[in-house]
Amino acid sequence: MTAEALREVTAGTGTGLDTADMVLNIGPQHPSTHGVLRLRLVLDGERVVACEPIVGYMHRGAEKLFEVRDYRQIIVLANRHDWLSAFASELGVVLAVERLMGIEVPERAVWLRMALAELNRVLNHLMFLGSYPLEIGAITPVFYAFRERETIQAVLEEASGGRMHYMFNRIGGLKEEVPAGWTDRARTAVDSVRRGMADLDAIIRRNDIFLARTVGVGVLSAADAAAYGASGPVARASGLDLDLRRDEPYLAYGELDVPVVTRTAGDCHARFEVLLDQVYASLDLAQACLDRVDRLTGPVNVRLPKVVKAPEGHAYAWTENPLGINGYYLVSRGEKTPWRLKLRTASYANVQALTTLLPGCLVPDLIAILGSMFFVVGDIDK
Amino acid sequence: MGVPGEGLAKGLAVTLKTMTRRSHTQQYPDVQPELPPRSRGVIALLEENCTVCMLCARECPDWCIYIDSHKEEVVVPGAARARQRNVLDRFDIDFSLCMYCGICVEVCPFDALYWSPEFEYAEHDIRDLLHGRQRLGEWMATVPPPPAHDPRGEPAKEETAARKRAGSA
Repeated sequence: MTAEALREVTAGTGTGLDTADMVLNIGPQHPSTHGVLRLRLVLDGERVVACEPIVGYMHRGAEKLFEVRDYRQIIVLANRHDWLSAFASELGVVLAVERLMGIEVPERAVWLRMALAELNRVLNHLMFLGSYPLEIGAITPVFYAFRERETIQAVLEEASGGRMHYMFNRIGGLKEEVPAGWTDRARTAVDSVRRGMADLDAIIRRNDIFLARTVGVGVLSAADAAAYGASGPVARASGLDLDLRRDEPYLAYGELDVPVVTRTAGDCHARFEVLLDQVYASLDLAQACLDRVDRLTGPVNVRLPKVVKAPEGHAYAWTENPLGINGYYLVSRGEKTPWRLKLRTASYANVQALTTLLPGCLVPDLIAILGSMFFVVGDIDK
Repeated sequence: MGVPGEGLAKGLAVTLKTMTRRSHTQQYPDVQPELPPRSRGVIALLEENCTVCMLCARECPDWCIYIDSHKEEVVVPGAARARQRNVLDRFDIDFSLCMYCGICVEVCPFDALYWSPEFEYAEHDIRDLLHGRQRLGEWMATVPPPPAHDPRGEPAKEETAARKRAGSA
C-alpha cells in the first residue's frame, strides 16, 4: 500500500449512495488559529473540497485609529496588531515617518534597532517552533521553545521595559540608551539560545511522527506563493528566494551578509525547517549587530520638535517582518496625525494561500497545514 | 533519511539530558521574579512634583488618566500680588484601560510619574483597577533607581542637566 492509501480509510455503511458535501466551519475560535480565524470548508467525507478563509473577527480598526493618533501614539497601536513581532512592526511605522520627514537616524540607533529586530524575530519564530508541533500533538517542544524565549525576553525587557509590547522605537531613533552592560548580557542570551536551540532541533526536526504529519503535506508551489503575495518563511519554503533584508536593505542590513534560508519542497516540513534555520541565522545577525553597537558611540535618537508633524506628501516603507513582508504606506497632509497609514501585513497575504492549499487535503492534515502557514490573526485583521 | 526511529531516539536523548538538569521553572509566588528597573509594571505618582499641566492626560492614547484641580491664591510675603497655584484634587489612572505604553511618564516635564516593576495588583472587580492619587503615591516606594546608561551612548537627560547645573553654579 502506498503512503497515500494508508492515510485515507474509507468507512461507510456500504449502501453505495452518493454522500452530500458537508459545509463545516473551523473556528472562529480554534486553538490552532492564533486568534480568531474562521475557515468555511466544504467537505466530501474526510476530504476538503473548498476552503474559504473568513477574516475580520479580530478587526480592531487599527488603520482608522492611526488617523487620530499622533506619531508617538501610533507606535502603541502598531506594536499590537502583530503581538509576536512588536518591535518589527514599530520599526516599519517609524521608518515610514522618518522617510517622509527626511530624518537621519544616528548610526548607533540603527545598529541597535537591527539587533533588537533580529532578537524579536527569534522570539517570534520560537513561538511558532513551539506552538506548531503542539498543534499537531507534540507537546514537549513548546517547553524548550519557551525556555529560550524567556532568555531573550529578559534581555528585551531590560532594555525596553516591556516583554511583548516594547514601545522602544521613536521617530528618529530609540526611546533611550540601553543600560550599561546590556550588550554583553544580550550576547550571553544569544549564546544561550544557540545552545538551547540544539535541544529543540534534536527533539523535533527529524522526529519520525512529526515527519509523517508534515512531509509532503500542504505543498505550496512557488508560483502560487507569488500569486497570493505570500512572503517570509512561508514563501521561502516554496523556493521563493526573497528577503528584503538582502534584496532591498533598510536600516544597515546592506552592510551585513544576510543569509536567506530557503527550501524548495514547499510542504509543512519545509516551512518549519525554514523557521528553524532562520533562528540560527538571526542569532548570528543579532550577534554581528551587537558587536557593531559596541564599536559605535553617540546618541540613539535625534532632537525632535515638541509637536512632530510629517510634511505633506506620502512615503512607503516595507520591512522583512518575522512573518514576511510588512508594508507601511503613509500619507500626510502636514498634520500631527497621518491622513492615512495603510498596512500591508504578511499574515493577511499568507493566509489567502489557504484557498488553494487546503482543497484536496484531508481534515486531519488541515491543522498541520493551517499551523504551518505561520500567521497571527491580529496581523490579518488589524 | 536515516534509520527509522532515529529522530525519536534523538528526542528522547534530549529529554533524558534535560531530566538530569535543574528545572527551569521559577516558583512564583514563593519566589519573586527579579525584574529589571525599566520594567513597566505600574505607574507611580509623585504628587509634590505635579503641576496639573495635564500633559499626561492629553497625550495618553486611550485617555485613562483623570485629573481635577482648582486654583488657590498663595500670598508670598514681599510680593506685590498674590500668586495663583494649581492644587490637585484628583489624579486617577484607570489600569483597566491603560496600555502600558509609558507615554505619560515620558511626557511629564516635572518628573511626577514613574514606572515601577510592581505587578501584583490584579483585582476581582474591574472597577478596583482605578487607582487614585493615594494608591498611585504609595507605588512611589517601589520605584527603583534607573539603570546607568551604556557608557558608549549618551548619558541620561537628567544626568546631563544635573552636570550642567553643577557646572554653572
